[in-house]
Amino acid sequence: MAMACLSRGLRSLSLLPQTPVLSSQTRATLRPAISVQLPLPAIVSHGTPLQLCRGFITTASLDQNRRFWKQREKYTIKPIGMKKTGGRDHTGKVRTHGIGGGHKQRYRWVDFQRLRFEAGKEGQVFEEKVVEVRYDPCRSADIALVAGGNRKRWLIATENMQVGDIIKTSGVIGRMAVSANEGDSYPLGALPVGTLVNNLELQPGTGSVFIRAAGTSGLLLRKVNGTAIVQLPSKRQVQVAETCMVTVGRISNIDHNQRIIGKAGRNRWLGIRPSSGLWQRKGGWAGRKIKPLPPMKSYVNLPSISAN
Amino acid sequence: MIPEARQRLRSGATLLNDLRLFSVHPRRQLNVSRPLLGRAAAPRPRPRERVEIPGLEPITYGARSHYVPGLAKPVYPRWEMGHKDPRFYRSPPHQQMALYKEKACYLFNQRTSILEGVRQALWLTKTKQTTGLPSQLLSLAESSANQIADQDERVMNVIKHARFWEMTEMEPPQENYCSTLLHSLLQLCSSLQASHPVLGKRMLAEKYSLTASWNRGEDLFQVRGQNGLLLSSTTPLPPLADRQEVEETENHVLETFYPVSPTIDLQTTHLYSPDRMTTGFCGDYPYPHAHTLYFPEGVDRRNRLRPPQLRAKMIMFCFANALARAHTLYGAAPQTLDQPVCVQAVATDGQNLQLAFFQLNTTDLQHHHGVKNQVWLEEDVPLYESARLLPLIKRKQVEIPAGLVGYQPETFRKFLSLYLHGAV
Repeated sequence: MAMACLSRGLRSLSLLPQTPVLSSQTRATLRPAISVQLPLPAIVSHGTPLQLCRGFITTASLDQNRRFWKQREKYTIKPIGMKKTGGRDHTGKVRTHGIGGGHKQRYRWVDFQRLRFEAGKEGQVFEEKVVEVRYDPCRSADIALVAGGNRKRWLIATENMQVGDIIKTSGVIGRMAVSANEGDSYPLGALPVGTLVNNLELQPGTGSVFIRAAGTSGLLLRKVNGTAIVQLPSKRQVQVAETCMVTVGRISNIDHNQRIIGKAGRNRWLGIRPSSGLWQRKGGWAGRKIKPLPPMKSYVNLPSISAN
Repeated sequence: MIPEARQRLRSGATLLNDLRLFSVHPRRQLNVSRPLLGRAAAPRPRPRERVEIPGLEPITYGARSHYVPGLAKPVYPRWEMGHKDPRFYRSPPHQQMALYKEKACYLFNQRTSILEGVRQALWLTKTKQTTGLPSQLLSLAESSANQIADQDERVMNVIKHARFWEMTEMEPPQENYCSTLLHSLLQLCSSLQASHPVLGKRMLAEKYSLTASWNRGEDLFQVRGQNGLLLSSTTPLPPLADRQEVEETENHVLETFYPVSPTIDLQTTHLYSPDRMTTGFCGDYPYPHAHTLYFPEGVDRRNRLRPPQLRAKMIMFCFANALARAHTLYGAAPQTLDQPVCVQAVATDGQNLQLAFFQLNTTDLQHHHGVKNQVWLEEDVPLYESARLLPLIKRKQVEIPAGLVGYQPETFRKFLSLYLHGAV
């Protein structure tokens, strides 16, 4: 790549007379089909020198143009450099308005699948030690680096997680409900009703999707017939299989909604652009709306009664 | 310009121009300009799985030499060029290499930063730690006969040289002043050779490479590769602990750190030679005994270790040097050594020193019981408090004045006594 850039740049230093002289070898290797298409003789006949090259590229190496920075084979705890999208999708159109600029951020790969066993230790209850709890630019919650066995990984930190804590992960549903500590992770079926939970999975083994933002927590309402019903932070209720993993407690950074942005520029640091100034008449979207809570959403594929 | 050179330049330009002719479209160079000018590529779909049905041959568009929708893409065998070219070498898969083993080996090298620091290094090397160096060692540089003339002034000049005078920049970077300081201190110590001729029987080696392998429990470990400077000598270092103290280490229980495994952060490899032990020098090297390892920390800008990890690295490499030496002296069989092998280590980040003395009592590392090895560690000894070219001023008050501040002469005496150990 660097060689290509250099040679392209050097082309502008050409000491050539106006008519380029082809070396005999090159002339011999040129196929007649290509040489017909060449626009070169026409330009040369006008007597203007060719300006085909773009000179030296002084920006960072083009190798940095990695578009697929997030697609990796192997898990790493190292921060990954991100490419800014400016709210555009892969076709170049604006997908989300109001995104652009901001401080450079790096992505830390959080392992949302809490019950990920180490190789050779499948099915065992395991414990991990919290090594570090820190800010993450990519999400509102804090993240925690945990180490256990032979590996390290990032998790979403819970409210009172501190360096040196030992957190437990178990996939076992016993007959008795466990008394879980904050930060521990169990299947919903193993927890007592009324527990505050976070990092909720919708399908067992797919990784947590719900209740991951700062300061949020869900409530385990009841357990019915191999399923569990959880109240989300939006008060909506979801029904999931009881083998879905959750973490006990509330997500860290509970004062996230109390912070004072202070000025317009701070939002720009975060990569949030001002909203459009276009005046729009207030319609039905404005004002308070009173509507009933949406019905409980079930993510369980139970066999229908008619199938029996 | 010389006519010959001009001719050459012109011919070079002609060649470049010829190259340019080959690109069919003159404006867009697709390999370069697409990311800049063109649209972004859509996310790549995963490559389809190729289904092989025995007895059925897919109809490909290979014979037509162009793409035909609906026909399969032809698969050709990889072209072999028929001769060896290192630029296009493709290594075989690990499983087919000669050194491949089923059982994994855990590697420690100079860039390894182990999570638990010293505790983990002590577990891996089956070592008992004592905080602080013993006074019998530190007292070596106390007497004036063993000191350098104008010692403190010269050491301060060495520090000033490393921090202020070496470069024209306002603040030399750590990778510069750290190794400069270490080399100058060593050169200062070696000036004692006039009064102590034994010091002449030392040799400083850079970039030596080392391999030591041992079994711990069921796992195989190796320390490999280059590390700091090695000061070796013709005579072995005398041990610090006598036989009785060595036997008392049997009662010591190694600290564990559940739930973290002791092998965390070590590199796992399946390619290794299992019983490899090399000190990095030939058998007839006249200075076979490793005396002191010096680690200029911060020279490798990409990989700086925090102090606990640095101390772990000192212990690991001291141990590896001693183990490789014990292997040549006493053979491969694990045993409690009659005469312990000792190695010292000094690491510096250009301001603080970490000092260690390692004594290898046993090569029987498989089990946790029995005699342990010993290490004496002195942590974070400052050589000076600050060295700034400009004072640090806050609210019109000078908080840290310019120049060298807070020089601590005892620190250099510790450094010197480690250097003199075995010669006085």
